[in-house]
Amino acid sequence: MTRARPWFRLRSELSPRRRLGLGLLSFLLPLGLWSAVSYVPFLWHPMVRISDPGGAAWFSRGQLVEREAFAAENARLRARAAPTARGEPANPVFLPAPHEVARAVFTGFTTRPPRPEEPWLHQALWHSITVIFWGFFISSIVGVPLGVLCGALPAVARLNEPFVEFFRYLPAPAFGALAVAVLGIHDPPKVAIIFIGTFFQQILVIANTTRRVDPALLEAAQTLGASRRQLLFRVVVPGVITDIYTDMRILLGWAWTYLIIAELIGVSSGITYFINQQAKYRNYDKVFACIILIGLIGLFSDMFLAALGRRLFPWTPNARGSWLAAVARIFRSRRESEALEAAAGEDVAPA
Amino acid sequence: MIGAIELPSHTQQTTEVRDRFRRLKQRPVILEVKNLVKTFETPAGTVRALDRVSLEARRREFLCVIGPSGCGKSTLARILAGLEDSTSGEVLLDGAPIRGPGPDRGMVFQAYTLFPWLTVLKNVMFGLEVTESCSRDQAEREARQWIELIGLKRFADSYPHQLSGGMKQRVAIARALANRPRILLMDEPFGALDAQTRCQMQSYLLQIWKAVDVTIVFITHDLEEAVYLADRILVLDAHPGRVRELVEVPVPRPRHQEQLVSPSFLATRKHLEELIHPVSQDQNDRLPMIRMTQVGDDVE
Repeated sequence: MTRARPWFRLRSELSPRRRLGLGLLSFLLPLGLWSAVSYVPFLWHPMVRISDPGGAAWFSRGQLVEREAFAAENARLRARAAPTARGEPANPVFLPAPHEVARAVFTGFTTRPPRPEEPWLHQALWHSITVIFWGFFISSIVGVPLGVLCGALPAVARLNEPFVEFFRYLPAPAFGALAVAVLGIHDPPKVAIIFIGTFFQQILVIANTTRRVDPALLEAAQTLGASRRQLLFRVVVPGVITDIYTDMRILLGWAWTYLIIAELIGVSSGITYFINQQAKYRNYDKVFACIILIGLIGLFSDMFLAALGRRLFPWTPNARGSWLAAVARIFRSRRESEALEAAAGEDVAPA
Repeated sequence: MIGAIELPSHTQQTTEVRDRFRRLKQRPVILEVKNLVKTFETPAGTVRALDRVSLEARRREFLCVIGPSGCGKSTLARILAGLEDSTSGEVLLDGAPIRGPGPDRGMVFQAYTLFPWLTVLKNVMFGLEVTESCSRDQAEREARQWIELIGLKRFADSYPHQLSGGMKQRVAIARALANRPRILLMDEPFGALDAQTRCQMQSYLLQIWKAVDVTIVFITHDLEEAVYLADRILVLDAHPGRVRELVEVPVPRPRHQEQLVSPSFLATRKHLEELIHPVSQDQNDRLPMIRMTQVGDDVE
């Protein structure tokens, strides 16, 4: 006889089904909360959307009015025996419902920008991705080797780290004006901000990771005749490369947080410009769509990198199922059920 | 003791064993340690880990070093490997003083030190590749031979995390031997293994040793292991680490598990036991008798 295992046990491994279920729930819970606030009329809804202005001169159809103002106006209309206005509870314009945002995610890519010189959504996104890429790439080609050297050689660490420790406390956005003065108003200063935001953290993080290399492996290599150079390239580097790869995934996430500020510098561009424009037009569904798209790009690129990592480093034991495999499973099962439905549909297809 | 088996003295050697030791002593000295001293500075003062330790190991000898914890036996192995400097004294390999770690002294550690990012084959090839002692093809051929010798041919392309503890240590032995070192240092290599695997590994090690021209210095705290493996056993004292005695093991070779209960084996083991764990006369070592149960001793 088997009893169901308890859900809350300290540091115990979850079954694959529970892992998947809880993972989905972590997205469904906030989505559920959002849906509840959006679709259940008595939750929040501080505004009224006018459906019939009645006798109110300053109301028009579709207008959003605060609930108190609406009640006061109706009271005034009743006092004058004029036809009262009617409307439904609504949320403020800055909180669109999930279906509106979902629609905006798709229509965002197909909607022509209001002015011809403005970018399409995909152009804005791509612009942001290139800025991130260059900032992170330039930072990494210098920062990773330097970090590894700091981690491996105390002399290099002592020469660099005190200054880097100081510099990393300087807020990257503070260099915005300087970057514009030096690098102009287009993409270079934005790349520079992401570089500054990433580089100094990167050195310290990579150096600390490198220091965690197992000293027993270094000793073993020494007894096998490895020279100092070989210790660095054949033991230290391969010994920490998987951890560095994980660090890089985390650092890439940090680089994204600098993006919005970087894109405000000089000529505003990329996804930030797009978001600001949409906010000006009060298209808050599109604003939310953009924010969610950034999140999705981050999530999927990280999942892609995780999967790539398992390819690149075949020696790492990964007993637990990956996120990507879980998603692949979901899609597979959905395709199968769709295929089943299609097959069923053919049987009863109406003439 | 009443009813104890009358054991012969551990110094009693059969003619065959005496002959073997005579031949052993005619072989050239590979490793010579003279008056080795190692001190550590601690907040409590200077600690003498090794105090004027001298030893010599001859070609193809199997020398075990045993002693109570804190006798500096691991420190000795690390100094021999060149991973630590001695405070004073000399270590000569083939008559020349050692400087730092080198491929002429292979080492197998208690912790698993296979490179996790390399397959078994690449691990065994590591020493040959970094010392550039032969071409890549040659290195691979030799590595495959070593892997065959340790009986892990099927696992040549496995990664260390796919191997059991015993298999990992076998690969570590092959990796150290692939460099064709003059001596193989083993610092409690089977200490982390379960009893059964340890027995099996000891037998494997003797078979490997038979097939290779190498002198083994084997550090252990397991007396039975020492008697089973060694030609001679160096017994160290603790605090400070001094040589207590050099014991010639009278058990004939080839060794096998049945000898674990032979009189000469037991005699040697008993002698070592008395050297290292003398029966305590101190009353403070005994626990006070406090009975925590009402149940009698005859309860089922």
